[in-house]
Amino acid sequence: MLKLKNISKTYSKGTIKAVDNIDLDIKSGEIFGFLGPNGAGKTTTIKMIVGLLKPDTGQVFIDNIDVWKNSLEAKAKISYVPDNPEIYDKLKGIEYLNFISDMYGVPKNVREEKMNYYSEMFNIKEALGDIIGSYSHGMKQKLVLTSALIHDPQLFILDEPMVGLDPKSAFQLKEIMRKRCDEGKTVFFSTHVLEVAEKLCDRIAIINKGKIIAMGTMEELRSHAEERESLENIFLGLTE
Amino acid sequence: MEKVISLIKTDFNITFGLSSIVYSFKNKKNRWQMILIGFAFLSLIPTYFMLISGLVKIYDAYRQIGQQSMFLLNGFLASQMLVFLFGLLYVMSKYYFSNDLNQLVPLPIKPSYIVGSKFVTLMFSEYLTSLPIILPFIIIYGIKGSEGIVYWIYSLLLTLTLPALPLVLASILVMIFMRYTNVKGKKDLIRIVGAVLFLIILFFFQFKIQSIAQKALMKGDNFFFDLVRDSNLLVKKLGLAFPPSMWGSLALSNYSSIKGFLYLLLFIGIAVGGLILMLFLSEKLFYDGLIGNIEVSAAKGKGSRKVDLNKSTKEANPSIAIALKEIKMLFRTPIYLINSIGGVIIVPIILVMSTFVNGEESMEPIRLILEGKPYLITLFGIGLIIALGMLSSIGCTTFSREGKNFWIQRTLPIKVEDQIYGRVMASLIIQLMGLVVLLVSMSFITNIGLSSIFWISLLGLLGSIPMTQLGMTIDILRPLLDWDNPQVAMKQNLNVLIGMGIGILYEGGIVLLVIFLVKNNIGINLIYGLLVLIFILFSYCLFILLKKLINKQFQLL
Repeated sequence: MLKLKNISKTYSKGTIKAVDNIDLDIKSGEIFGFLGPNGAGKTTTIKMIVGLLKPDTGQVFIDNIDVWKNSLEAKAKISYVPDNPEIYDKLKGIEYLNFISDMYGVPKNVREEKMNYYSEMFNIKEALGDIIGSYSHGMKQKLVLTSALIHDPQLFILDEPMVGLDPKSAFQLKEIMRKRCDEGKTVFFSTHVLEVAEKLCDRIAIINKGKIIAMGTMEELRSHAEERESLENIFLGLTE
Repeated sequence: MEKVISLIKTDFNITFGLSSIVYSFKNKKNRWQMILIGFAFLSLIPTYFMLISGLVKIYDAYRQIGQQSMFLLNGFLASQMLVFLFGLLYVMSKYYFSNDLNQLVPLPIKPSYIVGSKFVTLMFSEYLTSLPIILPFIIIYGIKGSEGIVYWIYSLLLTLTLPALPLVLASILVMIFMRYTNVKGKKDLIRIVGAVLFLIILFFFQFKIQSIAQKALMKGDNFFFDLVRDSNLLVKKLGLAFPPSMWGSLALSNYSSIKGFLYLLLFIGIAVGGLILMLFLSEKLFYDGLIGNIEVSAAKGKGSRKVDLNKSTKEANPSIAIALKEIKMLFRTPIYLINSIGGVIIVPIILVMSTFVNGEESMEPIRLILEGKPYLITLFGIGLIIALGMLSSIGCTTFSREGKNFWIQRTLPIKVEDQIYGRVMASLIIQLMGLVVLLVSMSFITNIGLSSIFWISLLGLLGSIPMTQLGMTIDILRPLLDWDNPQVAMKQNLNVLIGMGIGILYEGGIVLLVIFLVKNNIGINLIYGLLVLIFILFSYCLFILLKKLINKQFQLL
């Protein structure tokens, strides 16, 4: 579903390597966790997948479509939830959802059903008539999540999705992720909450200083690390 | 006092971006951009000198009737009026909508300190408006009349204090306005309607006073006798429109006597007095108008309005959805509302009213000209509508206005064509409002026929498309996305200035072409037809260019 081929990105005229020659191959029906300390290159990688940052070298494929060559086709298959929900403050929640639905060409009956389902689940239905500027950080996050799910994306990409969510919504988001994978869709998310990754992910990659230093299922990661049983210990050991 | 100085310093740095200019000059790419902008400014210099040589002729004309001081009054009036007008907009955005307020209000400082420090930075911004206007007047008067050293000393003092009083007036008016329009609910709407009405009333009275003064002047039996006897007669009569301007010019024209000195004292004294009064009033008015402003973002709690999803989910074509989103944002963001939409509505009204209020006498020549060549008013209307497309700054800030939300546009599967159609459409919808206002206000002056209405609407809107596209081209090449305050996207955005420059070239070219065609007796319908072709051709070429640029920039930014 998602394939990264040798992608690299440097900043400051090549002096800082944010992402260094990363290869990934994520299959349909997988929940893939992308772990790493602050500044490891997680967000940079995600931005290259969703079309916000052009890789210096390498290619990104979504469902075998080159993201940087046929971007419209690729973008229609994904949805992206950034770590910081910066959205149009002057629109009402419902207007934002309609706008996003229009861009993905979601028919009326479908968008009505999805909006109803997710806004109720995230407990923001009552606030949809209000200007987004009056929302709290968490409510904005939930609105972005709702908008990202309306067109039922094949690949759901989230950058630090648990930050700012209340425990109930975080739980529901995890349920949504699990359910999507059961339906054969793919979830790719970055996090530094190790517990979430450990419990939820089918596979995990740990990135540090722009390079992937470990990748595999929890079992595989455990077997490589002698006597370090929890993901926390593995993580700490690898990123030291 | 230390607090005030520190506030002024910080505000200065924020407003004029001193630190960031130094920073960006170190960056090679930006350096070239800045040099290019410098050249663009230099290219305006010949026009400026043409204007100045025109001023010299006006001076000579006044001198022939012994009323040189009138020349100074023109300068003072023009610059103070402009400072006042810009002042209204500056004060509104700087006192009430700037970003630092959220940080300043909780600090233990008096409201008058905040207002005072902002006033000082505004004074400096206003010098940029006032100096290019007043200096030629003062220098021409001084050199041609070989005035003495005291004249130049007075001039220096007067030019330095010149923006103060108009800015004080603007500050007081805006503070009162914001205080009493701070009503819960439809505050933004009340304010924009109030602001438009306020400006219309203001201009109405201004023009009325001028026309009354002019009429009174000409009526006296002894007019020519008085004119010879009192070399300041015109100033004293016409200066009533704004007395401080009169004092300024009288101070300079009488610099050699004690009278001049007294007028100088009056000019400066009133400015200082006004400033003190303004600071005093700010203690009472400022927070009352402001606090509700910041409140907006939090006032509406959860569930104030329930949404019926069945009714509120509507499908729309992506380009129309983008246009609607743009329009909503323009209407709901006060800074955009004042600058873009306010301008589009107010400019036609003021232009038309300035002729209307002066009464029958000044209407007569216009009617005579129009009777011979009725199409002139149509051409004027078309030109004005196209110019509004530039003045509204909607095209040249369309991507900048996205700011930190730009990621949404870039990650969604939106066709470039839809981006262009939607954004051009948004600009045209605003233009349409200007068009309606123009046609209605024009109908007060003269009977505009159906064919005029048709051509003004068609060619005005059609000609606005390339104008908007030119703006969009500039904006996609160098969008200003990193801002926290919408004011930056519109008022501190160089793209607006560059857009105006290129817009003037575009419109100037069209105007020259039309003048050429009219002079060569080409039929007016043929001219209209030709314009239709030109506008369509321009729109198409710019569309192709924009498509390429947007595709490229959406990947690179």
